[in-house]
Formats: sequence, C-alpha cells, structure tokens
Amino acid sequence: MASVAAQYLPILLFLGVALLLSTAFVVLPIAVARLTGAHKPSTDKLSEYECGFPAFEDSRMQFDVRFYLVAILFIIFDLEAAFLYPWAVSLREIGWTGWLAMMGFLAELLLGFAYAWKKGALEWE
Amino acid sequence: MIGLQHYLTVSAILFVMGVLGIFINRKNVIIILMSIELILLGVNLNLVAFSAYLHDLVGQIFAMFVLTVAAGEAAIGLAILVIYFRGRGTIAVDDANRMKG
Amino acid sequence: MGYTASFALSLPEIILSFGAIALMLAAAWAGDKASKAISVIAVALLAGAAASLLGPSGSGGVGYDGLYVADGFSAFSKLLIYVSAAIAIIIAPGFFDREGEMRAEFPVLILLSAVGMGMMVSAIDLLSLYVGLELQSLAAYVLASFLRRDGRSAEAGLKYFVLGALASGILLYGISLLYGFSGGTSFHAVAVAMHAGVGTGLLFGLVFVLAGLAFKIAAVPFHMWTPDVYEGSPTPVTAFFASAPKVAAMGLLVRVAIEAMGPAGDEWRQIMIFCALASTILGAVAAIGQTNIKRLMAYSSINNVGFALFGLVPGTAYGASGVLTYMTVYIAMTLGSLLCILQMRDAEGNPVETIASLSGLSRTRPGLAAAFAVFMFSLAGIPPLFGFWPKFMVFDALVDVGMWPLAMIGIATSVIGAFYYLKIVKTIYFDEPSDVRFVPLRSTTEGVLILIAALFVSPLGYFTVPLLGKATLDAATALF
Repeated sequence: MASVAAQYLPILLFLGVALLLSTAFVVLPIAVARLTGAHKPSTDKLSEYECGFPAFEDSRMQFDVRFYLVAILFIIFDLEAAFLYPWAVSLREIGWTGWLAMMGFLAELLLGFAYAWKKGALEWE
Repeated sequence: MIGLQHYLTVSAILFVMGVLGIFINRKNVIIILMSIELILLGVNLNLVAFSAYLHDLVGQIFAMFVLTVAAGEAAIGLAILVIYFRGRGTIAVDDANRMKG
Repeated sequence: MGYTASFALSLPEIILSFGAIALMLAAAWAGDKASKAISVIAVALLAGAAASLLGPSGSGGVGYDGLYVADGFSAFSKLLIYVSAAIAIIIAPGFFDREGEMRAEFPVLILLSAVGMGMMVSAIDLLSLYVGLELQSLAAYVLASFLRRDGRSAEAGLKYFVLGALASGILLYGISLLYGFSGGTSFHAVAVAMHAGVGTGLLFGLVFVLAGLAFKIAAVPFHMWTPDVYEGSPTPVTAFFASAPKVAAMGLLVRVAIEAMGPAGDEWRQIMIFCALASTILGAVAAIGQTNIKRLMAYSSINNVGFALFGLVPGTAYGASGVLTYMTVYIAMTLGSLLCILQMRDAEGNPVETIASLSGLSRTRPGLAAAFAVFMFSLAGIPPLFGFWPKFMVFDALVDVGMWPLAMIGIATSVIGAFYYLKIVKTIYFDEPSDVRFVPLRSTTEGVLILIAALFVSPLGYFTVPLLGKATLDAATALF
C-alpha cells in the first residue's frame, strides 16, 4: 500500500507546482495592472462576458440549437484525434505502413471535414 | 490492494446504472444519451482492467475504438434529437408515442 | 500475409468505401439535383463489389492478421446484402421525389451501411465485428429519420437509435467479458477458451453477446423497436431494414455461434430455442390485431426470423445452409411485399397504409393484388409456393439431429402465422371494396422487380433448388 502511495508522490508534487504557477499567472497580471495602469471601471468593462451568455443565470435555460451542431462536429473530430496518441508512441515499431495508414485515416477525416464545410455546417448564420 | 474484481464490480455497477437509466427514466431523452455513455464507459473500464490484468494491449486498443465509435454515436443521437425537437417541440420520453400497437 | 493480399481479400469493402466517399463529396458539390446520377453510380458500385466476389475476396481465406475472412459464407451473405441494398437505392427516388425530400446522401448512406454489413459477415474477431456492426447501425439510424419533416420518421429514428445503442452496449459488455475470460478477441481464442470449459464469466459473456445480436435481428424478447421503426421509417428504408441488415446480423449470429461459441453449443442452444419459439409465436399472435400494413410486416419479419433461428439450433452445416436458404427466400418475399406496399397509393398519391382500405385492391389493381397475394401465401409457407421450401429445410435439419418434438411445435406455430397472412388475402379479394381508389402503376422498374420477386417465390422457384441448395451448403460448410 505504501509503495503505491509513493508512486503517486511525483504527481502530487507536480500538482503543487502547477497550483503555484497558475496562481502566479492569475494574480501577477492583476497586480501589475493595478500598480502601473489607470483604474477606471465602467459598466461595459464590468459586465460579465462568457461565450455570449451572462455568466450568472439559471443553468436550465434553452440553448440555441446551433450550439448542438458545433458540439456534434467537435465531438467527432476531437475524439478521432485520440487515435493519434497510440500511433505516435508506436510509430517506430509500425514503420511506414503505420505512417501510411494514419495518413489515409487523416485524409478521410479531411474529406469529411470538406463535406461539412461545403454543406455549411460550420457557418453560424 | 485493488484487484481485477474491484474493477469488474465498478464496471458492472456502471453498466446496470446505464441500463436502468434508459428504462426507468421517463423525463428527458438527453438523460438516455447520458445513460448510453455510462454503459459504454462501464465497458471501457472492463476492457482496460482486463487488458492490464492479462498484460495484453488488445483491450486498450478496443477501448479506443469504443471511445471513438461512442463519439460518433453520440453525435448522430444528438442530430436525430435536434430534428425530433424541431418537429415536436419537446424531448420528453413520454411524448414519443405517435405510433402504438 | 502481406497487405496487398489482405487488400485483395477485402476488395468489395474497398470499392464501396472509396465509392461512398467520392459520392459523398459529389453529393455536397453537385447538390440534390444529381441524386439520380449518384443513385445509378451507387448501384453500379454495388454491382462491382458483387462482381469482385468472384476473385480472391470470394474464397481467399484469412487476412489482416486474423481480423477478416473471405470465405464462401461471407461471399454468399454479401451477395444477398448487395442485391437488397441495390433494390433499396433503386426504389428510393420514386418515393422521396413525391415527398420532395430526395437528397443525394441517401445512396451514400446505403453504401456505407453495406460496407458495415460486409464487415459484419466477414468478421472473425470481436473488434472487426463491433466496428462493422456500428458502421451499419450508425448509417441505419440516419436512414430511419431521413424524412426530416415527418414527425413519425424522426420518432422512428430516435427509437431505433436509443434501442440500437442499448443493444450495442449490451453486446460490448458481453465482448469485454469474452475477452477478459478467454484472453483474446479472435473467434478462435474464444472457441479455444470455451473448449477448455465454460465458466461463469464466459457464460455471462455469451449471454450478453447473443442478447445484443438478438436485438439486431429483432428476435423476441428484444423485438420491441421493430414495429415502431418499420411503421415510422420511409417505406424504401423499411424495405432496406427488413432485408439487408437482417441478412448481415443473421450471418454474424451464425458465424459467432458456430466459430466462436461452437464448443458451448449446449449453452447457446437453449437461448436459440427460446428465441426461435418466442419469435414465431409472438410474431404470429401480435400481428393478428394490427391495422397498419407496415407494422404488420414488422411482426411478419419477427415471425420469420424465428423460423430462420430454428435452422441454427441443430448447429450442423445442413442447418446453417437452411438459415441461408431461409434468408434468401425471405428477402425475396419481404422485398416483394414492401414493393407492393410502395405501389399502394390513393388518387391524391398519398400512401395507403391501413389494412382495411386494401379491400378495393383486387378491383382497381388486379395485377398488384395478385402479386401481393402470392407474397402473403408464400410468407405463410403454404406448400406449392416457394416460401414452403426453407421452412421445410430448417425443420428437416431439426429432425436430422433428432429434435423432432421442437420441429412439431415449430410447424404448429407456422399454422398460427398463416392465419393473419390469409386474413389479408381475404381483405383484398372478398371484403366490400373501400372508397380508396388506387392509381395505376407508374414505374416500370418497380413493376419488373415485383414480377421477378413474385416469380421467384412462385412454384417456379423450385427450379432454383439445386443451385440454391448447393450454393448455401457450400457457404455453410465454410464455417465448419
């Protein structure tokens, strides 16, 4: 049991370092801006903005159906890219055959993308 | 120590939760989509656990395929749901009853 | 084996997938006005794929490091699949043009589905089985909801999707158990493990895999999606669902049962017997009260799948050849019936789907009524017609291995089934004509297809018995 916990120690350390760095990246720009720049808040500047929605609102609201379309396309192209990871780590073993197979796969994805583009699935309006 | 049977138990629980989610849920079709994902995740956990136990990579490759096919499945499910909603104005499970017999 | 040899084995799939991608791009750039041309090219591609079965892809053996096999069984099933897919493409424009919904993607989806079905019948590994099955299913979900503006079509697509995805999940869970407890995903590895003894893990895997496959062939108790999907889908799509995917799923089931689970024959035989009996009985009894003709065809398909499953029960080559014969004759009967239903239009051109309104058919469209009656008699398995022959074959296979009590029960259920088919014939010929006026046949292609199907299931079909019997037996022996 102890040995397993010890194996996870580097990950814990990594998390700590990541936490420190991210805090620094969040706090530092604000602090620098406060110290060097002018501080003139206005309504437009202070209004929240996130993906076109007010940030604080009931989450059970209706979304525009166009978001679904983007989500559908994203989920496919995002997960098909997951095949690249095992391919990349084993490329030395599988050689040119593996390289060609992946290029064929990517070409096929590209043709699918071209189809979606031509059909106007990527246009917002 | 966590062994194979623990993984199998968790994945069996996930699988049963997914199946029950499809049959008991009477509210919303989106919840059915989530239940389907839950079933597939249970299967993936099974495959990866067996793969580690057997020292055989095929299970992990299989899990990759399940993952990507599940993405395609979810995309098509959402697309069908969108046209269904456009025609009907609702996605409640109990309203899907235009055909009976 | 090198990659060139593997590619040669899977030539039909290569032709169809490259063709489907090219046609997909053509559909996007040329638009829906090119849908006629795309349909013609798609049928030509299917013909090319069928022709390539004469080469190594017909009997070349195992390729892709044991993921894929090209043997007589896969070649025979693929031939049936490609013919049914081609017919679905041919009959589609006439139907969709009327709805104003003919889109160039229809033939492309059928082609992609055909690639998936080819993979299904050629799979000798659980991985290629799953990928083929999903490729077929994903295209089929879209096809079911192809009439976007029709609420019933969208509902059919949704129901098909939810229950199909559930079936895939159940199948996958079974696959994961088979993999874990046999240590490999090839059918051979599963068979070796089952030969050594069927433990609890393998038994659970077997049950889940068979349940998932029973879903795909719509055998009772996993049939509940079928009536809704058949009724709601556009009629050409219903014709497609009733033929090609049935053959593919049945071929897959036969191969899995014999090649992967052969040593566990005693275990799966009980499941098959239950599914076969339940399907024939429920398919026959539930069909009696139906008022919609497409819904009735759904129950008819459940009933027929039950009979085909009887052929699998003995687990012999003769039984498996009975299954293939059954599927061959079944797709001729069911495609013929659905082509007739496609022709049933009232004066405004709206499809007639209620059984009661068929009563005027024998006066206004005597030819169509006669053809439909032939299909109904044949589906009922009444002797002079060819529909009797496959039923005889599967029961003969049962008697061969001494399972004659089961054969007797099967014959008794086929008598119940005959009742509702004959009821339709009675409605068409002897009931008071309804006020629906049927318009005459417009498409010669559909007329010719109906004629060919009717001749095949008529007593003339017995002339094909020597050829069909040899072809199916050769195909079935490839499994053993």
